Amino acid sequence: MVDKKIVRNVKNIIDGLAMHQNPESVSVLEDIGTNSKVDEIREMTAKALVQKNMPESLRVVITNRGKGINDMSTGVAMCTINELLSLEDKTEAIRILEDTVENHSDEEVRDNARSIKALMALS
Amino acid sequence: MADLLSISSIRERIFNPTKHEATVARSSNPFAQTSFKGNVLTADVFVSENDKTKENEANKISFTGKLKASALVGSIAGVGNRIQQGIESAIAFGRRIYSDAVNCWDKLTHTEVTFEPAKQAISRMGAKMSDAVHSVFEPGISKNQIAKMEDLSIPRQLLMDNVQAWEMAV
Repeated sequence: MVDKKIVRNVKNIIDGLAMHQNPESVSVLEDIGTNSKVDEIREMTAKALVQKNMPESLRVVITNRGKGINDMSTGVAMCTINELLSLEDKTEAIRILEDTVENHSDEEVRDNARSIKALMALS
Repeated sequence: MADLLSISSIRERIFNPTKHEATVARSSNPFAQTSFKGNVLTADVFVSENDKTKENEANKISFTGKLKASALVGSIAGVGNRIQQGIESAIAFGRRIYSDAVNCWDKLTHTEVTFEPAKQAISRMGAKMSDAVHSVFEPGISKNQIAKMEDLSIPRQLLMDNVQAWEMAV
């Protein structure tokens, strides 16, 4: 059983990095959060990266295999997709999705990006 | 003899006048006490109020026999109509209520009611309150402090430590 204080600390740090203006905060989240073996941490990190709505942060959750929408955990992938659909300004996300569909080398990543792009067009 | 009788009658009139007045008072004729040439009007030429009332009552239409029966049947038929009208209005009212209920149900079934925004708002409010309470009683790492840190090595180290602690606990 995880101590609630640790959970709260992780959540606060990730939320603080999501609010941070420095682009380096994206690399912190990517290096530590998206590579964690705990699904909840990856979920929190993916949400924070989408909320930042920056090209660098969106690329992490869209174009990387095993991260964000391409995560092995369905819960993490669905949570990331839901967060993308909840964005008020979807322009940057759609642009990156289109770029991924056209240019990414991994077919599975391309298929995922195509599906999310269709969903975002409908929403 | 006749004179004697008349004298006795006169004497009776003189000494016992109340008896005579009582006799006269039976009539409603105000001239009954006055004799016309010695003849007292015995017939009551004035109509008594009591008699008038009786006459009026007699003039009133009284439903008897077939008339009464027909009137009763007519009234019953009228009651029947009224009851029928009442039933019809009740049926119309019921139909209106039914149609209103059906319309309401249709509207409800065709209206997508979602409480997601309320749920999200309550959830956010609860999270904020929880954070506020914890920051007061258990001052830990605040997200506002992290967001304001210029040197990101500190948040990186803090995140790494806490993530490792979490992974160790799982």
